[in-house]
Amino acid sequence: MLEARGIHKSYGPKVVLRGVDLTVAKAEVLTILGPNGCGKSTFLRCLNLLEQYQQGSVFLKGEQVSEGRPEDHNPSKDEQTRAQRLRQRVGMVFQRFNLFPHMTVMQNVMCGPKHVLKKSDAESADIAEKTLKKVGLWEKSPCDPLTLSGGQQQRVAIARALAMNPDVMLFDEATSALDPVLTKEVFKVVRDLASEGMTMLLVTHDMDFARDIADRVVFMEGGIVAAQGSPNYIFDERPTDGIRKFLEKS
Amino acid sequence: MWKYLVDDIKIIDLIYAARWPLYLTAAAMPLAVAFGLILALMRMSRIRILSWPATCYIELMRGTPLFVQLYLVYYSLPEIAGIFGPDAKQFMTLEAFPAAVLCLAANYAAYEAEIHRAGLLAVDKGQREAALSIGMSEWQAFYRVTLPQAFRIVLPPIINDAIAMQKDSCLTSAIGVKELLSYATSRGNNNEIGKPKMYLAAGVLYTILSLAFYFLGKFIERKLKARGGAELNLNQARH
Repeated sequence: MLEARGIHKSYGPKVVLRGVDLTVAKAEVLTILGPNGCGKSTFLRCLNLLEQYQQGSVFLKGEQVSEGRPEDHNPSKDEQTRAQRLRQRVGMVFQRFNLFPHMTVMQNVMCGPKHVLKKSDAESADIAEKTLKKVGLWEKSPCDPLTLSGGQQQRVAIARALAMNPDVMLFDEATSALDPVLTKEVFKVVRDLASEGMTMLLVTHDMDFARDIADRVVFMEGGIVAAQGSPNYIFDERPTDGIRKFLEKS
Repeated sequence: MWKYLVDDIKIIDLIYAARWPLYLTAAAMPLAVAFGLILALMRMSRIRILSWPATCYIELMRGTPLFVQLYLVYYSLPEIAGIFGPDAKQFMTLEAFPAAVLCLAANYAAYEAEIHRAGLLAVDKGQREAALSIGMSEWQAFYRVTLPQAFRIVLPPIINDAIAMQKDSCLTSAIGVKELLSYATSRGNNNEIGKPKMYLAAGVLYTILSLAFYFLGKFIERKLKARGGAELNLNQARH
């Protein structure tokens, strides 16, 4: 489904990604772990081109969707449109939710279908209703997003991303801003999505979450994939020193 | 005390003349806000051909007194244009009122540009990222997500500046615009009331006009239910 080959990314002299290779199969759930600064969030953001990487390529469903570009490169109109189209197929959920505060919950979720996919108001409302019901927040649809709890806001954010019907969902530390109770709420939604066959990549610091949900765990260190395998392989066998040190601390 | 102020029909004329600061501000302020937004976007651009002229304009307009700029536009500009021939000079010779509006707008645009820039930068970066992540273009993200939020942030400072512009409008009497201050002066000269009374009345009228803007600002703020925006403050001195 999604394939990243040889992703290199630097910020000036600082090299963050040193050649990351990763393949994700359809309906597979991957969790990406690693110490702070290992590049896992950066890598995720390269996948939907919120960050531009310098070398490498990304393929979605076998078709190349982006390539490396020099740091000071200004994307052309065509490149921007291409990136836009990529992001319509790859949804993202952020650590700080990033709901639009000047719109209601309903308007937040309708935003994508209405303004990006240019669907009619009725159709967009229908999609919004379905996705909000899926995350269990339909009764909150006329509310101001800032009146919701963190867990509720994150579920609305998930609904907003789902409304675009993406092929892949990316979760960038989606529960890091939530306490354990609220994390459970979000976790339930993610688990439902997984059982429905959504392809997902989750960057997380929550070890229980990571272990429970993943089909495969990826451990990143120093800008590359140090090890990957089943949750048992990574969490129990602890194949590398880095993993051992990392898991001992948490 | 009231008899001292109100016993003359000329005071009522003065109240009617108080529409001029309002006219000048109503004409110049929207221009200043619109042009200021364009300047702010130019200044924030990565393209140097856009950012450099914008920065120069902003620093120049903020760095010279409005009073001087009024004289320059009204008196010096036609002469400078005259270098390019009599037609250019004719084109650049403006009547007092349009020259005043142009000058007020051009000067205040520099200040509004900085307010817009601060407002745009104050919107959380994550907002743009979230908008992009659902497939919006940069323009859509700006127009539908960033700008509406920036608007709520910049509204109180802009109302503050509208109040300031209204007070600054009295400077335009220097180039012959018939507005409240010049009216007070001329009427004060020509009759037995005298300038002291007229100027006192004019001062009161300017205050009432400022209060009107203050209440307008409060009304708009309430309507928008602005969150985390700056408080409207009459005492913010600028010049």
